[in-house]
Amino acid sequence: MTLEEAKRYLLRRARELGLQAEVLFQEERELSLRARQGILEEIKEARQGGIGLRVVAQGRMGYAYTEELSQEALEWALSEARDNALLADKESFIPPGQTLGSHDLLGEGLSAPLETKKQSALELERALREDPRTRSVLMGSYMEKEVRVALSSTLGTEGAFRTGLAGMGGSLVMGDGPSLKQGWDFKLAKEFHLLDPGRTALEIREKTARHLNARPLPTGRYRAYLEPKAMAGLLLVLSRSLSAKSALEGKSRLLNRLGERIASEWVTLVDDPTLEKGLLSRPFDAEGTPARRTVVVEKGIFKTFLHNAETARTLSQENTGHAFRTYRGILDVAPTNLYLEPVGNLRLEKGVLITEFMGLHAGANPVSLDFSLQALGLWVEEGEARYAVENFAVAGNLLELLQAIEGLGDRLEWEVMGAAFGSPLVAVAELSFAGA
Amino acid sequence: MLSPDLVETVLRQALEGGADFAEIYAERSRKRRMTVRSGRLEEAISGLDYGAGLRLFFGTEVVYAYTNQLTREGLLEALETLLRAKGALGQVDERGAGGLDFRKASPKGLHTPKVPYGEKDKRYRLERLLEAEAGARIAPEIRQVEASLQEWEQEVLIANTEGTWAEEKRVRTRLFVLAVAQEGTEVQTGYAAPGKSVGLELFDLFPPKEVGAKAARQALTNLRAKPAPAGTMPVVVGNAFGGVIFHEALGHLLETTSVAKKASVLADRLGEEVASPAVTYIDDGTLPHAWGSTEVDDEGRPTERTVLIERGILKSYMVDRLGHLLTGYPMTGSGRRQDYTFAPTSRMRNTFIAPGDKEVEDLIASVEFGLYAKELGGGQVKPGSGEYNFAVQEGYLIRKGRLEEPVRGAMLVGKGPETIRKVVAVAKDWENAPGMCGSLSGMVPVEVGQPHVLVSEIVVGGRA
Repeated sequence: MTLEEAKRYLLRRARELGLQAEVLFQEERELSLRARQGILEEIKEARQGGIGLRVVAQGRMGYAYTEELSQEALEWALSEARDNALLADKESFIPPGQTLGSHDLLGEGLSAPLETKKQSALELERALREDPRTRSVLMGSYMEKEVRVALSSTLGTEGAFRTGLAGMGGSLVMGDGPSLKQGWDFKLAKEFHLLDPGRTALEIREKTARHLNARPLPTGRYRAYLEPKAMAGLLLVLSRSLSAKSALEGKSRLLNRLGERIASEWVTLVDDPTLEKGLLSRPFDAEGTPARRTVVVEKGIFKTFLHNAETARTLSQENTGHAFRTYRGILDVAPTNLYLEPVGNLRLEKGVLITEFMGLHAGANPVSLDFSLQALGLWVEEGEARYAVENFAVAGNLLELLQAIEGLGDRLEWEVMGAAFGSPLVAVAELSFAGA
Repeated sequence: MLSPDLVETVLRQALEGGADFAEIYAERSRKRRMTVRSGRLEEAISGLDYGAGLRLFFGTEVVYAYTNQLTREGLLEALETLLRAKGALGQVDERGAGGLDFRKASPKGLHTPKVPYGEKDKRYRLERLLEAEAGARIAPEIRQVEASLQEWEQEVLIANTEGTWAEEKRVRTRLFVLAVAQEGTEVQTGYAAPGKSVGLELFDLFPPKEVGAKAARQALTNLRAKPAPAGTMPVVVGNAFGGVIFHEALGHLLETTSVAKKASVLADRLGEEVASPAVTYIDDGTLPHAWGSTEVDDEGRPTERTVLIERGILKSYMVDRLGHLLTGYPMTGSGRRQDYTFAPTSRMRNTFIAPGDKEVEDLIASVEFGLYAKELGGGQVKPGSGEYNFAVQEGYLIRKGRLEEPVRGAMLVGKGPETIRKVVAVAKDWENAPGMCGSLSGMVPVEVGQPHVLVSEIVVGGRA
């Protein structure tokens, strides 16, 4: 069966069985080109698709998915979803639907010829090698992904959209004497022609080379400046606590803190799935709620959690349209393009410029919001970087860090880590550093 | 999953298209996950992954495609896409003419589960999860408990133009318990997650109630723990999951994925002393029912026991097919991938430090002031510089050779090749524990392990 046929089959069979059902179908096309030593060492071109199904039986929800679209597999998915629902013990529902239309958020963005894309990967890799300090290049690569998503339910939801991203990046090891540093970066855009292999390679080289000949950092408390990439990682950790689902599961310290000051007055945090060039913009969420801009924190005051229909109903708050699901998963809550609004009141003085955190998944606890993270950085004095520092960790609590923010730069940069996280350069009054 | 006839057709056409080597990896996986919170089943999902990956080598250049269409048309279309992408379409090669003589190896069933899926129903699973949750409710401070069961039944077929034909059914089961403890505004978590290449006998090996209690005890310990001190100090690293430090700091540096590109600080060092003589480091894909074991790797080769470091001397890397082509080192059955959407690369299986001859008490007694990192969370490494980090999930201070108060929020930071030279003592109490390892070819199940080890100094990231 095609995905379209499979969707119709599932909805018809669900109705016959007296079930409410919602079908999410997703089809992805991926192209990745990896260059090394002047040749394309790996070319990957693929298609993948599947159907995610959720059904309500006796007021409870069950899930199943399948990538095999035989009638047998679809029947299996339907009966597994129903069994899973009947075993569940929590009231749940599929929201009433509406016609959402068909949207194209990609257009001709990825339409360049394959040969041009190959050349850009090769060019990036070559440019990475053009620095005498480059010891080895692991790869220079081009990647693109195109996704078609469609949502249909027995309650009248009907909508589809197409989106995609192109990206270029690379990884290398640079050295100066015995000092070695490995660097990696990846730039994403909605359109192939917005990528610039030469500039990306130069940035990766510069960002890596500035860490060479690093000195140990003495243990102590210093003012910290977080580059957008580092701050984006912290926003990712924080985003779990902004989820109303996490809050209802007892996994957010922000429960019962709506309307309170949780950050300094400079902090305004927005999630906006409608941003015109937003890397992860979408017209509606995984339950068919139309997308809109949500101010999560306004001048330090916590305004709202991110909700799906169920969390909004449970907490009697407004649904922000942040239902998230892939066809392989259960319904969750997730941001789309979440960013800290630039302010433009930041001046570099003296302290540690943190360029990158490592080991976020292990060193930052999304429940307690405590973090203790390895970081790379530069010592700054009188507004300029003096030397690199290494072998240290930064510790604290994310809520304390938000309170201690005293300046934000004027330019937003984006990182995609599941969702897109945007931040300017951020100044934090003081953080605890463990080093030599 | 696929007939030999269809596989042969696709592989032969790949050779005709100019490839030196071609491989098909087909997969049909059933996955299930159930989650219990507050005494009730909140979420359950069942899934079927079904797809195939097609990999062609042109010299050391690799082209890879995957598809969910495991039909003749689907696979041939994927092949054509690849040949077009490579620019090799129409370069007909004579070598494709002959038939392929598949050497079908029968699986030995080394990791076959004792309790297959059909034997117990979902309610049986739910009851075990409820036991785990109840087991965690050991104190009023435990405010939230989440218990999940993850089951995974993966059928794979790997065939290639050298005549390999390997099939395996891999069954894995893992129980997760997360406990959240709260007092006032202070919130801390504890975690336990045993997993094996077994069926539901996992519950006999790890009684759910005890798993729950373990997670809860850790959450309570962290709740009363003070922030860890910051600075450089000796660290006694716990056994079992403690081995994650050397998984990050050493294991990743020995995969040909980075070694072949000279992007590992341990490249070209065979025969050299790279670790303290107290260290013997082994990657063993054959351990019965271990979380990271399989009979064949994802390139269809039998997995094996690979001694990486023997008494400090580097003996072997972990080598997949591409790594072998690039370096000439013999393959070690280390080609692994998350699923059909990834081409395989060299990856760890069950990697551990072999037991030494010391008692754990002696290790602790020898430390004047330091950290006992009893349980560790995850970590990360940059192989090109060796810089690693990992989080201490349960830690205690050591003063004058005695274990004292718990501390939290410690992050261990260093450079792997330096840390491994600073292992000064290795105890006898070897144990392994499961985890998921992410790298170029996706997330794969691995075990990490070791006895207790004493490292003379590591940077401990805590509160300054």
